[in-house]
Amino acid sequence: MKTQTQTISAVIRKHKIRQVRKSILTHMFMITLTLIFLVPIFWMLSTALKTRWEIFVWPTTWIPKVLHWENFSDAFTRVPMLRFMGNTLFIIVVKIIGELLAVPLIAYGFARLRFPGKKVLFLLVISTMMIPLQTKLIPLFTMYVKLGLNDTYWPLILPAFTGTPFFIFLLIQYMKTLPRDLDDAAKIDGVGTFGILYRILLPLCIPALTIIVTYTFLWTWNEFLQPLIYLSTYEKFTIQLGLEMFKGIWSVEWNLLMAATLATMLPVLLMYFFAQKKLIGGIASVGLKG
Amino acid sequence: MKRETRKIVMALAILLCMSTFLFAAGQKETVATDAKKAEVVTLEWWTWNSEEYDEAVQRSLVKEFEASHPNIKINMTLLPTKGFETKMTTALGAGVGGPDVAFFSISSWFPKALDLGPYIERDTFDTGMYYEGFWDTKTQFNGTTIGLPLGVGASLVMYNKDLFDAAGVAYPTSDWTTQEYLEIAKKVANPAKKIWGCEILTRPFRAIWYNYGPNARLYSMDSTTVDGYLNSPESLSAYGWFYDLMRSGATPSVSDMSTLSTENTGPIDLFMADRLAMATLNQGHMLDAVRAGKNFGVVREPGVGNNQRHVNAWSMLVSIWEGTKHPEEAWTFLKWYVGPEGQKFLMDNGNLFPSIETVAVQYKDADKDYVKGFLEILNDKQVAIWRGSHPSGTKVEATIKDLWDMIKLGTIKKSEIKRELDKLVPRAQETLDEAKKTLLY
Amino acid sequence: MRRPWKNRSQAEVKEAICGYISISPWLFGFVILTFIPILSTIYYSFTRWTIMDAPVWIGMENYVRMFTNDPLFYQAIKATGLYVAMSLPIVIVFGVLLSLLLNMKIKGMNFYRTLFYIPAVISGVSIAMLWTWLLQPDVGIVNTLLALVGIEGPKWFWDPKWALPSVASMSLWKVGGSAVIYLAGLQNIPPQLYEAAKIDGAGKVRTFFTITLPLLTPTLFFQLIIQMIEAFKVFTEAFVITKGGPLKATYFYLLYFYEEGFQHFNTGYASALILVLVVVIMSMTMLVNYTSNRWVYYEGDEKAK
Repeated sequence: MKTQTQTISAVIRKHKIRQVRKSILTHMFMITLTLIFLVPIFWMLSTALKTRWEIFVWPTTWIPKVLHWENFSDAFTRVPMLRFMGNTLFIIVVKIIGELLAVPLIAYGFARLRFPGKKVLFLLVISTMMIPLQTKLIPLFTMYVKLGLNDTYWPLILPAFTGTPFFIFLLIQYMKTLPRDLDDAAKIDGVGTFGILYRILLPLCIPALTIIVTYTFLWTWNEFLQPLIYLSTYEKFTIQLGLEMFKGIWSVEWNLLMAATLATMLPVLLMYFFAQKKLIGGIASVGLKG
Repeated sequence: MKRETRKIVMALAILLCMSTFLFAAGQKETVATDAKKAEVVTLEWWTWNSEEYDEAVQRSLVKEFEASHPNIKINMTLLPTKGFETKMTTALGAGVGGPDVAFFSISSWFPKALDLGPYIERDTFDTGMYYEGFWDTKTQFNGTTIGLPLGVGASLVMYNKDLFDAAGVAYPTSDWTTQEYLEIAKKVANPAKKIWGCEILTRPFRAIWYNYGPNARLYSMDSTTVDGYLNSPESLSAYGWFYDLMRSGATPSVSDMSTLSTENTGPIDLFMADRLAMATLNQGHMLDAVRAGKNFGVVREPGVGNNQRHVNAWSMLVSIWEGTKHPEEAWTFLKWYVGPEGQKFLMDNGNLFPSIETVAVQYKDADKDYVKGFLEILNDKQVAIWRGSHPSGTKVEATIKDLWDMIKLGTIKKSEIKRELDKLVPRAQETLDEAKKTLLY
Repeated sequence: MRRPWKNRSQAEVKEAICGYISISPWLFGFVILTFIPILSTIYYSFTRWTIMDAPVWIGMENYVRMFTNDPLFYQAIKATGLYVAMSLPIVIVFGVLLSLLLNMKIKGMNFYRTLFYIPAVISGVSIAMLWTWLLQPDVGIVNTLLALVGIEGPKWFWDPKWALPSVASMSLWKVGGSAVIYLAGLQNIPPQLYEAAKIDGAGKVRTFFTITLPLLTPTLFFQLIIQMIEAFKVFTEAFVITKGGPLKATYFYLLYFYEEGFQHFNTGYASALILVLVVVIMSMTMLVNYTSNRWVYYEGDEKAK
């Protein structure tokens, strides 16, 4: 009896040690990767805290002698970054609403319903992603001006309400992994075609929807070309336009630019940090009914 | 699930309210001013930032103008440098949504500029007040006047007096040659401290090339022939000089230039960090150096023997878009802004070097060395007729870029340069012929 | 084959109608925002057009010149093709690996996930700059580390042989973004399957290849197509860092298009260039699509019925 308990506790101890070792190794690995990823960020911060002409001095200093935190406030007074951030945020929220309205509907059609020409139309959805924006600039711009939508946010928002192909494709793939049993069961219960979408399938698509929200946020935040073309009132500008203003025709104010870039990165990261829970945690129960 | 959905909806709703508020706050101003503008004309003015005229100065300019012209309001849109060209090309190409007044910095836009001839004549606007060279080369297109020249700019060599003193080398004089440039660069360089003598030129066929002789051009003056110009003996000499420069060790490496020299603005950061003893910069950079209290001097680019000296000089062309709905008001603003009043304002409150001689002599720092040096440089023959003014220039230059890279990287011997140049002639000629089919001149 | 429509049941017709209603927002957007602009591009590809003048019809001349008298065209194809071949495996493999790593239930994983997502947050231009500093031959971190081990690092972006691999390796930086998508796909795999595998005594590697990977194929299919399209459209790295050099090693197709269209104002020719690219990408996509039946497994697809 005694030897048995000894052996069992020995096994348990070995197991625990292995666990701890695995955990430590993983942490070490992650920390190393972290440092590598963080180095450029650290460089950006270092540059943001220097005076303008101090940045390219040799030998390069990682921590400047004097930390010029006022660069952050200078950056925000030189260019109305806060206003631009608010503008961009507004566009993002409206676009998210648009995508969340359009994309599930469209993806549902392709993933679950049968209609003639589906294969060809699906190819068209994907093919729109192949066309670089620059080719569409002039025709689209002409159209919007003629519609009187120039210098408004409408050209930036409208595509979201028609569904971004990337998201449509993503959600189609996601929906296809959900078993048809769910649909059939719902049909038997008398749920209509679109009811299946909104009551059964969509709640299970939360991770994909979170991706849509996150990426809409990210891409709109980083967008430069379209706001540049469609907006001509300075006060309406968006973030990336604002950041470019630190680049003059003869020189670039690197310290202010880095400060502003870092400041504008924060909300996105925060947003992503909180969005993760929806993305990862809360295991989407892929309804395996009994 | 339902509670979660509700939470998400709440969060979105709050975000929406917040951003709508921020957005609306911005809108209020526009709405209020819209009401006021009902009886006045609003002009769209697209411009950018520069050391010579920053945002604050330009906004004050607008106020000053509006004060004396109550029936005209200017909506000034500041655009980033990179975006300016794309936005203009899109609007001008679409034929709608363009600005009333803007810089027409790309020659391909010229067909879309309003012909100012009739207005100049009607108002007997004295175009002779501008520096002659700029009037001829910058504002004329197919026999029409398409804009007015704002300010003057030029490339020049700035040298760091402290670094020169430390190396015990005499300052460059204005009659210096390209050989002396090379020698000086080698002497002042201090590789141990990562200090270099001069930068790597970005491209050929600028002032220094022209100093080698009248045939050291990309193609003939009448834009028909490449052979005998691109591969002329003078051109070859210039390339040889550049080759020696690249092998001298006085310049940063190619990778250094990319990483440390910023966004095609010229190596101003390196110069200001005391790592370049000499650098080919321009008047905007000069102002940076003055503001930072740098101990520097200016001199024109080195020449060759007794040949005619040249300078890359320019003036910013400001034009009226032909699709403007308010040509009269736009003309009123243009002739004020680029005329004596506007340029004097920008000179006094900003740092513009005016393109009007009578205004320029009133420059407040006219006695300073750097101003005198700069104005002296402008006396040389302008090279501006050439690159940038001629639409084919960029296209043809693109065909010879590889040779430049080869010399920079050292993958070619000096003796092989002639052969390479000859090889490039047919391709360059072809491009030139092709470009002339769309030639605007 | 297919039955004619008059023979189909009422339910099927109803489903088809619902289908069209479903996709109507996209259809509307496609016609207005994509189809019409594409038609203009097709038209312009048969003209000589400087944007500022009226287009001049020249028929097939642009295409003829492209295929017979344009060495830059072939250089651009070569550079882009090599880039796709190099970067695609990197992005896919490391994306999956990273997502597996991030899927582990370890304390602080939330923080790590955010961390690896940071590069995706920084816009392309800033990333390009950062990499320029990282791969700087003299003082960049990579070469400094290599020097510690006694290797003299190459000149990376400034060496004609190494420029393209350097740019291709930059796609490693973006791996965080695609890992997020794989993560979502991983979440969708029923944990019961893993438990069953553990009971059966399957090791980690075996579990991966028999359960994780097959059920991840829908996401893989998605990523393959997306990343391939993005790879063909590579532009920023060349535009910001290498400017297509050195010696045209990184002269990507879209860079050529940009120079022709926006710098030289040969917009007719540029339109033709773009159309050729779209055709190439579309063919590759269709290829992947047709082979997908073999290797993609959907749990909820109709074929499973």
